[in-house]
Amino acid sequence: MQHVLQVEGAERRFGSTHALCGADLHVLAGEVMALLGPNGAGKTTLIRSIVGRIRLDQGRIEMFGKTICEGGSAISPDQHTFARLGVVPQEIAVYPDLNAMENLRCFAELQGMARTEIQEQTAWVLEWTGLQDRAKDLAKTYSGGMKRRLNIGCSMMHRPQLLLLDEPTVGVDPQSRQRIWEMLQQLQREGTSILLTTHQLDEAQQISDRITIIDHGKTAASGSFDELCQTTIGLQRRVIIVSAQPIAPESLPTWEVDQHLAVCRVNNVATELADVLAVAKQAGVPIRDVQIEAPSLQAIFIHLTGKELRD
Amino acid sequence: MRTLLWVSWLNLLRDKVALGTVFVLPVIFFSIFAAIFVGMSGGGGGGSSAVQKLNVVALDLDESRVSQSLLGQLQSTTELELTVQRPSELTQAKNRDDIRQEVRTGKYNAGLVIPADFGRHFPDFAGQGPAIELIYDGANPMAKPMIGGVMQGSAFTAAPDLMMERGFEFLDQNAGWFLTDQQRTILQALQQQLRDATSLANNENSDESEDTNATDVGLNALNGLVRISASEARDDTDRAQQQNQAKRKRSSMTAYYAAGIGVMFLLFSTAGAAGSILDEEESGTLERVLSAIRSSQKLLLGKWLFYGLMGVVQLVIMFVFAWLVFGLDLWTVNHAVGFALMTVLTAAAASALGVMLATICRTRAQLNGVSTVVILIMSALGGSMVPRFVMPAFMQKTSKFTFNGWALDGYLNVFWYDDPNHSLVQSVATIVPQLAMLVAMTVAFLLVARSAAKRWEVQ
Repeated sequence: MQHVLQVEGAERRFGSTHALCGADLHVLAGEVMALLGPNGAGKTTLIRSIVGRIRLDQGRIEMFGKTICEGGSAISPDQHTFARLGVVPQEIAVYPDLNAMENLRCFAELQGMARTEIQEQTAWVLEWTGLQDRAKDLAKTYSGGMKRRLNIGCSMMHRPQLLLLDEPTVGVDPQSRQRIWEMLQQLQREGTSILLTTHQLDEAQQISDRITIIDHGKTAASGSFDELCQTTIGLQRRVIIVSAQPIAPESLPTWEVDQHLAVCRVNNVATELADVLAVAKQAGVPIRDVQIEAPSLQAIFIHLTGKELRD
Repeated sequence: MRTLLWVSWLNLLRDKVALGTVFVLPVIFFSIFAAIFVGMSGGGGGGSSAVQKLNVVALDLDESRVSQSLLGQLQSTTELELTVQRPSELTQAKNRDDIRQEVRTGKYNAGLVIPADFGRHFPDFAGQGPAIELIYDGANPMAKPMIGGVMQGSAFTAAPDLMMERGFEFLDQNAGWFLTDQQRTILQALQQQLRDATSLANNENSDESEDTNATDVGLNALNGLVRISASEARDDTDRAQQQNQAKRKRSSMTAYYAAGIGVMFLLFSTAGAAGSILDEEESGTLERVLSAIRSSQKLLLGKWLFYGLMGVVQLVIMFVFAWLVFGLDLWTVNHAVGFALMTVLTAAAASALGVMLATICRTRAQLNGVSTVVILIMSALGGSMVPRFVMPAFMQKTSKFTFNGWALDGYLNVFWYDDPNHSLVQSVATIVPQLAMLVAMTVAFLLVARSAAKRWEVQ
């Protein structure tokens, strides 16, 4: 599949801080790529350098086959390439004293769209975001979810082929979040490539085709969920035995034991679960409950980035 | 409650701009106004040297000992900066119309024309002699009463011998029984002593003093010891036009205050509006806009243009209101064109100042504090709050460094120091320095803004 975005060895330093230390990223045409990382990992710096707001010290960014930034040199002023890009900032960057239609028109005009084109696109975006009924209300009167949707809509007026979203669902309720994910899936079905950053790991796992995890300014892992599982925690399921009494660790020496819990890993739950339960009974564990845990992006993320706080 | 007070105090303490606004600004303002009003009264540390002297020109058509003595006395006063012009010393003849023109154009605050027969009739208690003509600039309401008072005071000491001689002559003619021959002899001796003393005093004041015929005297007690005929520099001598003149005077003062208040509030509104740039920066909208247009220069120019247009509308509303309600003389060709030029360039410069302040400041709170300080100080020094003619000389010079000072000067030239006989080109020529300075300020402000806005460019 064709790359729409390629970032190779991106490095950027702000004073003594290394924001990016050789980050790599590839987005294929029509895919949803989740860019994950702890706070301060360099996600926003990477997004801003793709948008052309930050110059790289080292490395290269290629978009739609054109180099837009090469380490140490100026960013290409190629308007045509940037016109194929849409950016949704983390902040709700709309004018609160304008209504939805006016906001959409404003950002479309800044993108250089013609008036007739704007009218057509406004109708589509309002429908896509579900804001038709409130189209003439001021943005400041909207709920958090509506503002978020308008924020995304403003970046879709020119129908970009690549959409970058920096934490598009932060601070919204589950219903609004669900609606936003549906909107993005619709875009993907229509062929738009999407690169998004988020801390909603379960949803990132659900919506994205591939995932890139960056930490300390460089790429820690990249690939599909299964690929990440294989290269990190493995595809094994965790079988968790909950005991009615505290378990003696020496009774299950190859298991992870913690008070009332005993954990082991299996490759195939269907064939191996009965054996696991038999071993537990043999060790004298009074089984109260059994839980089976599939590998999660959360587990992969913690595995790759560690447990220490990054604030 | 204690916690709330503590938190509020910490917030204030850590916001240096707010701290300055709360504690330093009032002191600065107090200092400015104290300097103005202490200067006016001649008190305080500045002393009388700090008082702004009225700049007066005197045309001595009489050139008698009395007129020279009187002008010598006026020159020695602390209130006037007197320039004496005598036909015998001038290479080109001058008349009262020339003096009027010099006052009208603002070269002098006032002019005095000593008529040819003044000395012969001084002191003219009968009120038959010619009056000294005082031509004053109505823009300076202090000029007329101040010069009148100084003139009367100086007249007492200018020629005491003549005053006494003519005083007794007057009494003798109207009440001959008043003096005996012996008294008359004593008075003649005293008169000679006074004449000698006056001559000595005038020589100390002016080397130009010379003896003239002592009999060329008269007396007039109508306004005191000298009769003064006062006229405004823009008044015509035709009394039938007095009503129109009064209207013009009101109109001109209205223009002064419309310009003064208008320019000050123009600055406040443009600075306030320019704060939206900072709001947009904070909300992320600015980043989004810059990502789309990819140029902070375009952004600044767009904002500057909008705030400039807003300023033009604001000033037009102010002056049209002044025309409708206060009868401002706005619709002559010279006034309208001058107003249009001044308004466009004043609004452009004010807008550029607002944009500059917004780019220099990092937060809306900072902008509010800084712009309030800058605008109030410029308005106070520039004459928006207090007319500049009441300020001490050093403060008047300082006003040349303020935006308000130049803008106000331009509007005054359009509406106040205009000459109805000027062509449109001549009229516009009078505001060229102000227009040029406003353009220069606009460019300078925008360049600073451009430099400060680099933080929004590609990093």
